Amino acid sequence: MSSTITKLNAPLTQAFDFQPSSETQLMPTPTRNTLAQRLVGFETLTDALEYAAQGITGYNFYDARGKLRSILPYSLLRNNARNLAKRLVGFGLERGSRVAIIADTSPEFVELFFACRYAGLVPFAMPVPVNLGSHGVYVQQLKGMLESSQASLAFANLDYINFLAEAAEKVTLLEWVGTPAQLNELPAQEVTLQPNQPDEVAYLQFTSGSTRMPRGVVITERALMCNLMGIVCNGLEITPDDRSASWLPFYHDMGLVGLVLAPMVTQISVDYLATRDFAIRPLQWLRLISRNRCTVAFSQPFGLKLCTMRVRESDLKELDLSCWRAAGIGAEMIRPDTLRNFAEKFASAGFNGNAFLPCYGLAESTLAVTFSKIGSGFHSIQIDSKALIDKRMAVRLQAEGRKSNEFVNCGRPLPGHIVKIVGEDGQPLEERMLGSVLVQGASVMSGYYNNPVETEKALKPDNWLDTGDIGYLYDGDLYITGRRTDVIIVNGRNIRAQDVEELAEQQPEVRSREASAFGVNDEDGSTTVVLVIECRLTSVTERHALIKRLQQLVYMAFGVNCIVELVPPHTLPRTSSGKLSRFAARQGYIQRTNLNDQLAVVESGDR
Amino acid sequence: MTDNNYDEIVQLLCDRLSSLASADVNITAETNLISDLSIDSIKLLNLIMEIEDAFDISIPINALADVQTVHELACLIAKIKSAS
Repeated sequence: MSSTITKLNAPLTQAFDFQPSSETQLMPTPTRNTLAQRLVGFETLTDALEYAAQGITGYNFYDARGKLRSILPYSLLRNNARNLAKRLVGFGLERGSRVAIIADTSPEFVELFFACRYAGLVPFAMPVPVNLGSHGVYVQQLKGMLESSQASLAFANLDYINFLAEAAEKVTLLEWVGTPAQLNELPAQEVTLQPNQPDEVAYLQFTSGSTRMPRGVVITERALMCNLMGIVCNGLEITPDDRSASWLPFYHDMGLVGLVLAPMVTQISVDYLATRDFAIRPLQWLRLISRNRCTVAFSQPFGLKLCTMRVRESDLKELDLSCWRAAGIGAEMIRPDTLRNFAEKFASAGFNGNAFLPCYGLAESTLAVTFSKIGSGFHSIQIDSKALIDKRMAVRLQAEGRKSNEFVNCGRPLPGHIVKIVGEDGQPLEERMLGSVLVQGASVMSGYYNNPVETEKALKPDNWLDTGDIGYLYDGDLYITGRRTDVIIVNGRNIRAQDVEELAEQQPEVRSREASAFGVNDEDGSTTVVLVIECRLTSVTERHALIKRLQQLVYMAFGVNCIVELVPPHTLPRTSSGKLSRFAARQGYIQRTNLNDQLAVVESGDR
Repeated sequence: MTDNNYDEIVQLLCDRLSSLASADVNITAETNLISDLSIDSIKLLNLIMEIEDAFDISIPINALADVQTVHELACLIAKIKSAS
């Protein structure tokens, strides 16, 4: 047995306390601060950091084996960020210029992010490559973001700098590409750093998926501070005894806003595990919570599923999750069974089901829109499937034996925010009627950066944000029933149907507007991507080769397997304007393949 | 990297992959992990964990972006192993 396995099987304390004797013992930042906790009254991120820096709490970074690799107390973060900011000033950029940073889970990313804010620049996080063989697609994805953001500077650490350099070729507006270490070698300018204003842009958030036309959500300091305040005061009711643990990527809104910025503005400590390390050994996250007595930790449902799948009986004995009071669940449709299975599995490790905290949100509204009530667990209702399909209405199941769907209560909007449900004509619907979910409030984005077309699609008059999700209100609480057909969510990853179709259309055999992509659900609730192509090839070998090539391309771009179906020309249904209807294409596919239990009702027509 | 070392790694990968792959295929060094085996993301994570445990190494995530075949994965492992 390798030493790794021995370590993983060792009692918890041993697995965590393993330290080579030659290294000095690093201590995580404490939970209890020396500074009085302040939750409100910060106008900007740097305001909040100036305050947090007076205490002793901060960020802690753990490796795959659960060993503490580095710590970044808020005091050190402030000093390092200001120091780097004075070097950034040397580039002589206008205030508000964009700075791209490849965001792996590292102290360097956080330092650079805040350095940008101190220097009056607008940072944005770019993803790390996650898929086998994804080199080419990943570089294209980075290039798309660099171009769309009109970034002036771009940073990556040594692991990713080659990808970044490749992506930066021929991106004309980019002035400099380098590592944080290279920035540190530049001279610091003798300047006084100017305070930021609430109306200034705090950061851009790229929504996942789209490669060719990525959309950068613009979030101002005001929107950010408004959303953070709602999250920490109303959603989580943060106290000085709280501590967070997170594996969420820093390039996702939940990871960045929820688990990097929210802890800082409340001056609480966080323990980080890199996403990749969590994905391979999900229990390390639970061990961190158990060992450091963490109270607040968020995950997508998929993350909980991974934990449930991979845990062994021997692991359970070593865990004490009784400290975990806020198990936030969001970022994708929440299936009640995922939560039930997790609660059942980890009950013996002290996990309390009342800790479940379903919430709903999206990057276009900074992060959070609704929160269920803290400390009361998750609640769901059984809805009559027939009424949902025929009348588009949520009716509580009356008689046993009728077919039903169970939806999770996502709670109520944060103070100052309103959620409404509208029909296809844009008119508001009554409670319990199924329709598009719209949100209004100070957390809503200013728009997509330099993209008026997409902005106009998402932001309706009076600044109502069309979330792209489908749901209903029931006794004032929001229930999400599905996404519209333009996003497919597989294993927690958001994949834009359009991106899959564009990938197919780049093949010489596939004409434009002759590919349709959508998701179908298996009986266990997992989603598979289906790509239907109108195909003129007659040779069996050629058809087979095309299917294989498309599957490989989709895998390299999105990390998922897909079903490719070749159909004769004119099979795919079109709207009167000649546009393909994914909704109808999906219905057709389901009929052809006789898939049962497909809930057509949860998705309305194309956007 | 010695040839012996490489052969051992390929052998181990082929053994592990044949139990992971859904399709009934003969796995060799030339086998493409994506198009021939349809390794999904969960199976891939399991495979990486097993490799890391078996060889006591850590595979950096950036390196996998350039891996498509069994041969490329074996070379990567051999490279990390000899460097550690």
